[in-house]
Amino acid sequence: MTYNIAMVSDFFFPQPGGIESHIYQLSSKLIDRGHKVIVITHAYKGRTGVRYLTNGLKIYHVPFFIIHREATFPTVFSFFPIFRNIIIREEIEIVHGHASLSSFCHEAILHARTMGIRTVFTDHSLFGFADAASILTNKMLKFALSDIDHVICVSHTCKENTVLRASLDPLMVSVIPNAVVAENFCPRSYTPRALDYIPGSPADTRPSPVPIGPDDTITIVVISRLFYNKGTDLLIAAIPRILASNPNTRFIIAGSGPKAIDLEQMLERNVLQDKVEMLGSVRHEEVRNVMVRGHIYLHPSLTEAFGTVIVEAASCGLYVVCTRVGGIPEVLPQHMTTFAKPEEDDLVVATSKAIAALRSNKVRTDRFHDQVKMMYSWRDVAQRTERVYQGITGDISAEEFYGYYPGQAWDGSGDRVRSFALIDRLKRYYGCGVWAGKLFCLCVVIDFLIYVFLEMWFPRANIDIARSWPKKRAEDQAGLEGAAQ
Amino acid sequence: MNSPPSSLSPIPPPIPVNTHPNRSNAPEPERTLPDPNRLAPEDAYFAHSISRIRSAPAHYEDNFRALNGDVRATGMAALRPETALLRANPNHKDVRRLRGTSGRRRRKGAWKKLLWVKQSYPDNYTDTETFLDHLQRNPRVRPYDFWPLVADSTVIVQHVCSVVIFVCCFIGIVQDRVSPVSIVCWGSVGTAMGWTLWDNWIWREHEETPQATDGTAGVDDGSSSSSMISAANPHGNHAQPNGSTTSPIHGLGLTMSGNESREHLSRQSTDLGGSSEAVRDAATQNTALSASPTTILGSSEASLLPEASRSSLFSSHKSRNRQRLSTVKSAFLIYFALLGLSPILKSLTKSTASDSIWAMSCWLLITNIFSFDYGSGEGADATKFPASLSTNAAVMASTVLASRLPTTTHVFSLMLFSMEVFGLFPIFRRQLRQKSWTGHALLTFALVVVAGGAVGVTLSGGWASAIIGSVLGSILAALAMGGCSWWLISLQKYKNVVIGPWDPARPIIRRHWK
Repeated sequence: MTYNIAMVSDFFFPQPGGIESHIYQLSSKLIDRGHKVIVITHAYKGRTGVRYLTNGLKIYHVPFFIIHREATFPTVFSFFPIFRNIIIREEIEIVHGHASLSSFCHEAILHARTMGIRTVFTDHSLFGFADAASILTNKMLKFALSDIDHVICVSHTCKENTVLRASLDPLMVSVIPNAVVAENFCPRSYTPRALDYIPGSPADTRPSPVPIGPDDTITIVVISRLFYNKGTDLLIAAIPRILASNPNTRFIIAGSGPKAIDLEQMLERNVLQDKVEMLGSVRHEEVRNVMVRGHIYLHPSLTEAFGTVIVEAASCGLYVVCTRVGGIPEVLPQHMTTFAKPEEDDLVVATSKAIAALRSNKVRTDRFHDQVKMMYSWRDVAQRTERVYQGITGDISAEEFYGYYPGQAWDGSGDRVRSFALIDRLKRYYGCGVWAGKLFCLCVVIDFLIYVFLEMWFPRANIDIARSWPKKRAEDQAGLEGAAQ
Repeated sequence: MNSPPSSLSPIPPPIPVNTHPNRSNAPEPERTLPDPNRLAPEDAYFAHSISRIRSAPAHYEDNFRALNGDVRATGMAALRPETALLRANPNHKDVRRLRGTSGRRRRKGAWKKLLWVKQSYPDNYTDTETFLDHLQRNPRVRPYDFWPLVADSTVIVQHVCSVVIFVCCFIGIVQDRVSPVSIVCWGSVGTAMGWTLWDNWIWREHEETPQATDGTAGVDDGSSSSSMISAANPHGNHAQPNGSTTSPIHGLGLTMSGNESREHLSRQSTDLGGSSEAVRDAATQNTALSASPTTILGSSEASLLPEASRSSLFSSHKSRNRQRLSTVKSAFLIYFALLGLSPILKSLTKSTASDSIWAMSCWLLITNIFSFDYGSGEGADATKFPASLSTNAAVMASTVLASRLPTTTHVFSLMLFSMEVFGLFPIFRRQLRQKSWTGHALLTFALVVVAGGAVGVTLSGGWASAIIGSVLGSILAALAMGGCSWWLISLQKYKNVVIGPWDPARPIIRRHWK
């Protein structure tokens, strides 16, 4: 069973970033699995209209007003006519939105539900509950997710957060992690293993890695945007102490941001220019080349939903030192990481411990790449996402998808299979809050009226059906699968 | 994957990791009963089901497995890379053994909150035991008590009352009921009395710590003189402990410091807000001076070391007098500056319509009330709001109002009165609250009565209405204080602070690179 899927998000190429590459990788792997995928995003500078990417991935760049950091202005209804047109043209069955800061995606979910289409939402970020911006974002999210069919989160911490923020049934939220393209993050001198390789067998003829001597220089790599929430303050405080207590240590820092000045001031104050190399911002393709220059990857972030970069670092064969925040502790096994509390002292201690572990050659960083390759792959992500699609479209029965647990306290809600009847939808929205509930109901009713109006003025019969990109033939598929195995 | 022996395995078996950001691997307390302060998964969407009974998780898993036979198959499919690697192995027995073990272990394996392990549970599996177990509700909530809350609200009442009194005085002046000169005279008399009292307190504080005389005298007088100009200097009094700790150095320096250095010292510490750095700077300066005594000794009363303490007392007397003099000087400076400025202030906003003036002054006074620094001036959060915003708003309000007055004398009186009410009175009130609680309560009561009376007179005139106004005002103030305190306490039950691992961690940094 294959589906026609529309990925909707404000964030997509040409803008670089984690969400953007997530959407691209997931889409192309879903296409490999025989589905039809299109991406709907707003128009970027010099990029309007329809584009095709590799593998027949079709991109709709819809002209839209942008307010801040490539997020569109929330207009609630103005996106509906063109969205309906695209959905009908492409015969979309599932709308999959990404990123909770994208109003484009929230609106698309609302309209899709009005049109009777199943919806999925992927949350990539964590939000608190305290400040005004979070409260507003959480209300918006609640509006969008009140009527959603399924939500995907990138980590278990992210799932807890989203369940609380949007008051969701936890069984309607799946955890599917991000992945990395392991081939793009190889260690420096990596030779792919032969297919008949057996771990530990005598056939393992690869030379043991060059051991690190007690006087060899250990290079610590930091690649992050230099913002407060990335823990740059911690980094600034920790670098002089790490360098003071560990001779023969170097830093490479890549990335730019508002905290770069503080970092440079610290370097000048402590005269560390010869021990710390600052590269400025680095393109994503270059990240691997920077990473393989080091032995340890230091990640002092203060909040992180998943932390793809530490997986990339481990894949490059770097030992990872990171703070125990957000979803980071779930991401990598303990033999690849040293955790620190988000405190200056603990970060220094953890880094020194990691340096000592590397110097004693206890850590087999040369094995990391193969291990990471087995843990995270986009093929796996696509497979698991496909199961979500099967669950919401009814190809897997609801009992099987959600599990039927007689002893459980929360099996009472039969609302997991979301009906499209307007009255049921209104019921769900009405529960969102004393005032917000009524406002949301009003929005839904208006949206429904617009839909009826559009059906009358621009009937479906007048909209052409776009020709799909030719699907890969079955033999190709089989060959692909074989190659994968 | 948790299958083969660790020497063979490409990835070692998973170790459950504590995912809480700030808790190290502390053992989880046993939870037999659901903690009412802890959210369970269903609480997220069933608001009413806080008190449900949690079922046995083992039972749940059994049911789950019976139903989801093929979910494990998906799990197996996810394991394909491993099996693919193993398939090419000539030793088939080995493969079977490995598979067997892994299968058995997997059936046994409990769900782990990890992403890198391929688990036999579906992606939307919600583990009852670990889901939301790091969530904390209201972790740092301090319950309020009624009477302390009422006591604290007096600060707000005082300020509101003084604003009301100011407004009533203005209305009296505009309606020609009160002579502006009498108001400003009474105000100045009150200010002078307040200043005397304040000066007295400071003086007594010095006598309590005679050793620290110079440090404190320099700093305090600095703040007193500067407060005449810049209205508020909350730090002035806090340098006292610093002053007394560094007193030996001061004592040394002071015996030979002359007029110039003293002036310099007090000026410097004033400029820097009397912070500890300033005191230390001054101290080093003093020692520097003492290192080269010949330059100063000539002009100063040279005294011997045994007489140091007596002479320090004496010279601090002198410094007090000098500071008083400088205070009086700056008071006169302000007086004459205002006198010179009043014609300009009078015509400054004359062309603006009266309606706009009323509206503007209303907003400015409201800004003053809301942005006023009600803190006790202690601790690091003393200047959370810029105190200058509040004072500036008030002064601007009176400037704007002054343009509705007929003569320059009127304008001058109103401006001076507003300086006293909004600039100096808050400093006195803050000091009084620290000194004597009874005095603070009495002042509050007096202010409430006067404000009530003033409103009564303004509305209908006559002594009778003044008395009725004061009585009503007192009752109203008492009700408002009690009612608001009670309201705030009753609102506390809606407080729901949710803290979890998703919140950005607060980094703990010892050194600050400023």
